[in-house]
Amino acid sequence: MTAATSRVDAAPAIEVSETSRWYGNVVAVNDISFTVGPGITGLLGPNGAGKSTLLHMLAGFLRPSSGTVRILGAPAWQNPGLYQQVGIVQERESVYDGLTGYEFVRLSARLHHLPDVEAATRLAIDRVQMETAQGRKTGGYSKGMKQRIKIAAAIVHDPPVLLLDEPFNGTDPAQRLQMMDLLRRMAAEGRTILFSSHILEEVERLAERVLVIVSGRLAAAGDFRAIRRLMTDRPHTFAIVSSDNRALASALLADDSVTGAQIDGERITVRADDFERFTVHAPRIARSAGVTITEVDTLDESLESVFEYLVQR
Amino acid sequence: MIGLIFTLTLGQLLRQRRVLLLGLLAAIPVAITLLFRFTSSRADTGLPEFVASMLDALVVSIGLPLTALVLGTAALGQEIEDGTAFYLLSKPIARWQIVVAKLMAAWVATSIFVTVSTLGSAAPLIGERGEDLLVPAFVIAGIVGALGYTTLFLALSIRFNHALVIGLSYVFLWEGLASSLFKIDGVRFLSLRAYTLGIAGAISEAPSTVFSARLDGPSASVLATILIVGAFIYAVRRLERYELSERV
Repeated sequence: MTAATSRVDAAPAIEVSETSRWYGNVVAVNDISFTVGPGITGLLGPNGAGKSTLLHMLAGFLRPSSGTVRILGAPAWQNPGLYQQVGIVQERESVYDGLTGYEFVRLSARLHHLPDVEAATRLAIDRVQMETAQGRKTGGYSKGMKQRIKIAAAIVHDPPVLLLDEPFNGTDPAQRLQMMDLLRRMAAEGRTILFSSHILEEVERLAERVLVIVSGRLAAAGDFRAIRRLMTDRPHTFAIVSSDNRALASALLADDSVTGAQIDGERITVRADDFERFTVHAPRIARSAGVTITEVDTLDESLESVFEYLVQR
Repeated sequence: MIGLIFTLTLGQLLRQRRVLLLGLLAAIPVAITLLFRFTSSRADTGLPEFVASMLDALVVSIGLPLTALVLGTAALGQEIEDGTAFYLLSKPIARWQIVVAKLMAAWVATSIFVTVSTLGSAAPLIGERGEDLLVPAFVIAGIVGALGYTTLFLALSIRFNHALVIGLSYVFLWEGLASSLFKIDGVRFLSLRAYTLGIAGAISEAPSTVFSARLDGPSASVLATILIVGAFIYAVRRLERYELSERV
């Protein structure tokens, strides 16, 4: 599946073309193609789906067995110069325990040959709001603090592309919101941010677009609600409250797009095969039956339900 | 850039607790020599032979390879294991610069331990009759040997997860058992220990009754150079093609 997730007017920052990666006989990533442009994109999939393998290939740490991976038009593999344009946050907690937070970020700035190391360091630490803990050894940091200082080190050179592997691991809710806000601000400045997460709620709250990886294949790409609607072969469930639930349920059951309807207390739960058709037909059917619809909710629009469906598919 | 990574690595290496063990390892031949010096009734008799055998058997054959093994594999291999190598590999730095900096740090640290151990072990002989350049010969050979061992072990640590075990096998099975115990002659051509002793033998003016190497100086120097250059090139190529495994 190829999904264009970039803006029309911007060249894709990330291009993955017919890329596979296998370890012996095990295929970790299977013939994946997609592009990613500015904004926040979530990489989602169950454990062992190939998310880390894909991120490592994007980061230039794994050679694709076939296909190409390009970042800002340049090959990712064996191209250390690319790291001037890319910031990477690894999943592992490890940091240089003997260094303070400030020294750790400063080291990153120096390794990037930045002209004003001190200013870049201060700015990166400010952005992750670690000013008060910057003088402490990173070895004594909590998991969440380590995540934030790792992000500071990854953005110290102000990269246009940011790759993050499970960036919210270990962060408390307040820190998570803070970091989400930071990533949103960075994306608003035109950066391309791709992050992986196994927390569906994180992806749903943060990502404008999603790449769903299942068994090494790209199962879906794009806006997750749009993806959900494209899956017309799966019933969608709606909760409807109307002026006459019994009459409306009878009328709806007569329509081809509806596969089931039942009255649950004050509302009707309706299952429909075709999302588009149902949303167009339902108001018309209600009008014909002389019923007023006062409320409509989709019950399975969460990312989790989309994800479960894709895994089972 | 090399200087920055060198300083960082040297600091990391010397901060580790295992440095205390390396210090103890370096102190063992010193303690034995001092024991000999103060317990022998006529310490001047046989002192050069004793010091030479101590430098050969304990400093060059055990202290040097073990110190180089610990520091050579830790310089980059341990960072790959614990994930901190990521912070170097994700920067716009040529891989050869990383290898040079890591190698220099491991080499300098190993040389410090080996030189201190050599000078400490040979202290009773310094300035005495019969010294015959034995001390500078072992100091120089130890530093060259440290470069050879650290380059080899650094290269192994990029290639293998268990470089420490492989290195120990090389030191004890190949250089120890095959060379010393079973006296397999050909081993000297593929042994850093033999190269180190060959270089020491070429510099020293001590008579063969005091110290003799199994490999002549020119052969030892050429073979050591080939090994160092070969291992260095291999290390750079491995790091250029290094793939971060799933555990990293």
